[in-house]
Amino acid sequence: MRRSSDLAMSALTVATAGSMAAALWLIFLVAPEERVMGAVQKIFYVHVPLAAITFLSVFLLLTGAAGYLWTRRAGFDHLSIASAEVGWLFCTLVLVTGPIWAKPAWGVWWTWEAKLTTTLVLWLLLAGILLARAYASTPEQGARIASVLGVIAALDVPIVYKAVDWWRGQHPIVFGPGKTDPLAPGMLAALLVSMGAFLLLFALLVAVRARLAAEEDRLAALLEAAARSR
Amino acid sequence: MSDAAPRPPGFVSASLAIAQKDLRIEGRTKETTLATVLFALVVLVVFAFAFGGDAVQRAGAGTIVPGVVWVTLAFSGIVGFTRSFRLEREDDALAAVALAPVDRGAVFAGKALANFVLLTALETALFPLTSVLLDVPLLAAAAPLALVVPLHTVGLACLGTLFGAVVSRLQRGEALLATLMLPAATPLFLSAVHCTASAIEGTPLAADRHWLLLIGGLDVLYVLVALLLFDAILED
Amino acid sequence: MPSPPSGASLDAAPLLEARGLTRRFGATIALEGIDLAVRRGEPVALFGENGAGKTTLLRLLAGGLKPTAGGVAVEGTDPRRAGAAARSRIGVVSHQTLLYGDLTAEENLVFFATLHGVPSPAARARALLREVDLAERGDDPVRTFSRGLRQRVALARALVHAPPILLLDEPATGLDARSTAAWRRALAEAAARDTTWILATHDVEEGLALCPRWVAIRHGRVADAGSSRGPEADRARARALAP
Repeated sequence: MRRSSDLAMSALTVATAGSMAAALWLIFLVAPEERVMGAVQKIFYVHVPLAAITFLSVFLLLTGAAGYLWTRRAGFDHLSIASAEVGWLFCTLVLVTGPIWAKPAWGVWWTWEAKLTTTLVLWLLLAGILLARAYASTPEQGARIASVLGVIAALDVPIVYKAVDWWRGQHPIVFGPGKTDPLAPGMLAALLVSMGAFLLLFALLVAVRARLAAEEDRLAALLEAAARSR
Repeated sequence: MSDAAPRPPGFVSASLAIAQKDLRIEGRTKETTLATVLFALVVLVVFAFAFGGDAVQRAGAGTIVPGVVWVTLAFSGIVGFTRSFRLEREDDALAAVALAPVDRGAVFAGKALANFVLLTALETALFPLTSVLLDVPLLAAAAPLALVVPLHTVGLACLGTLFGAVVSRLQRGEALLATLMLPAATPLFLSAVHCTASAIEGTPLAADRHWLLLIGGLDVLYVLVALLLFDAILED
Repeated sequence: MPSPPSGASLDAAPLLEARGLTRRFGATIALEGIDLAVRRGEPVALFGENGAGKTTLLRLLAGGLKPTAGGVAVEGTDPRRAGAAARSRIGVVSHQTLLYGDLTAEENLVFFATLHGVPSPAARARALLREVDLAERGDDPVRTFSRGLRQRVALARALVHAPPILLLDEPATGLDARSTAAWRRALAEAAARDTTWILATHDVEEGLALCPRWVAIRHGRVADAGSSRGPEADRARARALAP
């Protein structure tokens, strides 16, 4: 059983590496440079997937947190830890790549419009969850508290978005009505492959982190059993 | 000993008993009220220094005052929420409440109600103080404020009680309350500042209908989520 | 010395029962496979060192903690299904007093009486204060009481809804002679009213004196059990457990 999951992990790693290479090739060597902003625009191929996956991680967090509260099965908590941590990492990257793109594009590093603000609030919420786990007195309590906070955070995100939207609004729209520049075909391919590559990377990181959490549990149980039998 | 067998109280009676217990303790010690009012005063003074003498006059009351008031309320409220659960931990009285045949949700409802009352008491001091220290007439806006402020105070009390319970379970968790609660309170905050600004500037509340609906909805959502999650929070 | 009312052990169904009760905290196994049956009128003493699992067992029986495996039955009902009903049959005294220091003794009792739905909470509170010999201190905040007095109020709180089962977690540790005597008196009166209890204690002699049966826990498992009234050998085994 372990060998098949190891095999799956290796396959995932290879797929991630391969698709990343393909994405990088497409981004830098195939996709045409954007007319106005030049090379800086290429961050878009990284920023958009990172942002989309960050919000996917919130959904996974909700599943893990709610699942744990409902069933108290460790597997849900492992998903919860992994999606919170990897999600927070991706969120950090979104908040870093965004301003790098924003400054040349809009002239400001930051603006308080809906997507940016929601991402920042999400970052704070996720950081809070990770912090709360560290403050817990037992791992089980940490799991429970983090799950409660995870559910609250996940439910809060759409509400925050709507509230800030009413309060402001200015993000460039890439797809859908109101978009200003249609994407050239080379650009679309680069974006889609990049999205796929980052998705695989996300899946790989979540799988590794979840398995790490499971192994930590197993180790603790073994140590405990050894201590008792002495 | 009376002959009738005990009948567990309903949700409402239990919540009211718990709220009454909290308010009675506060009435006796007055610790929370004193701490929060004093803290609020200090924060107001800091704001006065931060924004300079006539900043409010230059920018307009509606620009600065709502933010000042709600930031002050948020942080003073946190002082109160922390205390609300600390008194339960002193001799672990909450464990005895959890052993009674009452729904744990009643603990949330009762404490949130008590926190709402204490926050409202704080507000009756805070608004006049703000009016005086920042030299802003608020009496004219009393009617719309009387609608807007309690609506948002309900949400603040619910969130504060919910997060207060969460951090009370963590070691040294009280330091985390602001960090955990305030990001989650973003929609509440935005709505509070916006609606308070409208009230102060004299904009008819009908223009803010969507905000008022939002906060109404949020209040209901917070209560439902808290009732759902409180069992898990208070466990162990 | 309190003794169970005669004829009380004839009930077929145990008053309180643990079946294969297991509780893990993360990787730590606090209790494993505990089977225990407490019959009406037959109080049980629970012996064991610190960390053996006595407190965890009592918390599981009270319903304050959920088991990882196994189950509890209170008068035949599973507290996970009918929690409120089960909780109304149990009273708990722990080493923390579980009282509000800023409220008076009477206010504490009235509050808990209200939460348990006891009719005429004020009258019940005053009656209980008389029972634990604290009638004249009813209007003092509990914060001003010594530990001995607080534990007496705590016992009154546990009895407020006249539960048939009491779970006592080392209630008399640190009490002076007068408070301990008041305790035993109150316990004797409870026994006369057909109350049964599980008494977790370090004091083996006290346990043997107050309970006809005893059970010893070690490393989260039942290590030994016996009777306090029967063969001397049983009592000797219990005394051998004392460190």
